[in-house]
Amino acid sequence: MWMPRESSLAEILADARVWKLKDASAVPPRPVWSTGSKSLDARLPGGGWPSASLVEVLIDHAGLGEVQLFLPALVACQRAVEIPWLVWISPPHEPFAPALAQQGINLDRVLVVRPGSATEALWAAEQVLSSGVCAAVLLWLKGTDDRWLRRLKLAAEAGGALGVLFRPERHRFESSPASLRLLMTQGAPAAHIELLKVQGGRPGPVDLGMVDFGAS
Amino acid sequence: MKSRVSQCYKPLWYAAVFSELSAEQSALLYRLSVHAQRFTSLVSIELPNALLLEIKGSLRLFGSLAHLHASIDAAWQEFSLTVRSATTPSTLASLWCARAGHAVLIDDPELLSGQLRKVPIVCTAWEPKRLQTLSAMGVNYLGELLRLPREGLARRLGPQVVLDLDIALARQPAPRRAFVARERFRERFDFETAIESMNFLESALHPLMIRCAQFLMQRQVGIQTFELQLRHPVGPVSRVSIGLSSVTADHRRLTEVLVQKINRLSLIAPVQAIELISGPLQPLFLDSLDAFEGLNRVDKQAVPHLVERLRARLGESAVYGVCSMAEHRPEAAWRRVYEIQFGCARVLKIADEGMPRPVWLLSEPLLLSGDSLVLQQGPERIESGWWDGKGVARDYYNAQVSGARLWVFQERQSKRWYLHGLFA
Repeated sequence: MWMPRESSLAEILADARVWKLKDASAVPPRPVWSTGSKSLDARLPGGGWPSASLVEVLIDHAGLGEVQLFLPALVACQRAVEIPWLVWISPPHEPFAPALAQQGINLDRVLVVRPGSATEALWAAEQVLSSGVCAAVLLWLKGTDDRWLRRLKLAAEAGGALGVLFRPERHRFESSPASLRLLMTQGAPAAHIELLKVQGGRPGPVDLGMVDFGAS
Repeated sequence: MKSRVSQCYKPLWYAAVFSELSAEQSALLYRLSVHAQRFTSLVSIELPNALLLEIKGSLRLFGSLAHLHASIDAAWQEFSLTVRSATTPSTLASLWCARAGHAVLIDDPELLSGQLRKVPIVCTAWEPKRLQTLSAMGVNYLGELLRLPREGLARRLGPQVVLDLDIALARQPAPRRAFVARERFRERFDFETAIESMNFLESALHPLMIRCAQFLMQRQVGIQTFELQLRHPVGPVSRVSIGLSSVTADHRRLTEVLVQKINRLSLIAPVQAIELISGPLQPLFLDSLDAFEGLNRVDKQAVPHLVERLRARLGESAVYGVCSMAEHRPEAAWRRVYEIQFGCARVLKIADEGMPRPVWLLSEPLLLSGDSLVLQQGPERIESGWWDGKGVARDYYNAQVSGARLWVFQERQSKRWYLHGLFA
């Protein structure tokens, strides 16, 4: 097994041909929000959902705990970020205010957007993600092409928000610019979760353990 | 008895009478009033040819009344108009003295009657019939009128005369006048030939919007509403009304919202001309003008502007907030909020409801066949609303079906099972 020598980094830095990126230390690291599940956190680079990026969840049946995966992150980022708005675009049902409050979400900083079409939903998502004033954006779509996803990814990176896209499972084999892709399928006693793509991590199924969704 | 208002704050009124101004030129009065807004925010147009400025607040800035008065007088020079002016503690006294050409400059209400004595009654601009009656009575100057007993005056000339005299002597404030410059931005653009494409419309809008913003910035004011009228060769005018979340003078923001809105329209007919009409001018909050806003400080208006953009394109009702209500029936325990509060968030109170609530609530409970349900938690009895005719008597459970967590209830009367929510 190859092991780096102790002095190698210092040697490399001493080399005149190596330029240090001065700004690298000036840019604060993007925050990462815990998923609330230790086993899932352990599988994600940085130990949680990354802000300023796009996360894609492929799911066919609502109610598998897909929002619960993000609720601890939504609560945490609402408390940590200067403008703690959460935006829900085209959710499949009404977000139930008492449930969100029960979980610790500040309802005064929640927006629901109901666009009339998929194009408008994508437009709205791009506006919201790139606005720089939202902590997290959840978007439900029936389908969309790669080009639009790329725009959403860029918008999330520019705006610094955690962008979560929920799409049907049939998009599983299409390429996606999302930095994280998850598949959620029905199972007993709990839903199955599989990481399809993890930038800087290892894909594969995740065992959440006996996480009691909604019972927190 | 003096009113409370006059005891707390004694206003000073500068009146300017432009006697050359004919009725057709009254539009010029608007320009003059805008010009006058550099001295005070309280400018009132007194048709047909006069302006009233409340200048008490500007006194300190200019040092003395004489200096302030002279500065305002000088401001009219660039219009090459002859002006006669007067400053007194009363609206009518200032107007009357100015009309009489008496360059009065007093701030003591006690001196008013002495000054008014020499003013001819025609300067009151009362209706000709009343002036004729007065001259028939041998009254030509206000001094003669002031000597007559009040009761007799009211009986013979009507209560208005007595009231006007009280106002002129600053014994009565003049609340019947709204001293606000009712100004609008209004500009029209005519196309050489009627256009049918939205693109042309958009490019014609930009210069209009920029001029509107300039107009607003010059006055240090903003608008919250405006209207774009599209005139067609035939048929009625199409109107696009815009309401903003806050007062603004930023042409980019105005244009952006308008363009989003008109992009949703389909032109019913070619457009011959467009006209932009602003809503009432409103004071602009200074933080929106702050040029030194730090990069790290988050723009307070950013969220309202975002909501505005979304609503302009998606429709008003497509963007809403949610709040929870103190109510046991789940369907009534929340509601949509269209008046989104951007200010301070309220302190969060986590209601301890006992059983967890699901993230998704179905808009209508869905009838289930109860056999396949695996109940995990419950029941939580919810019995409420008998008083408003939408009473419920239900037992709620958490149930599980192939990895999905459901919120179901059994109606106690019918024993039927319904799905009401999903623990997403």
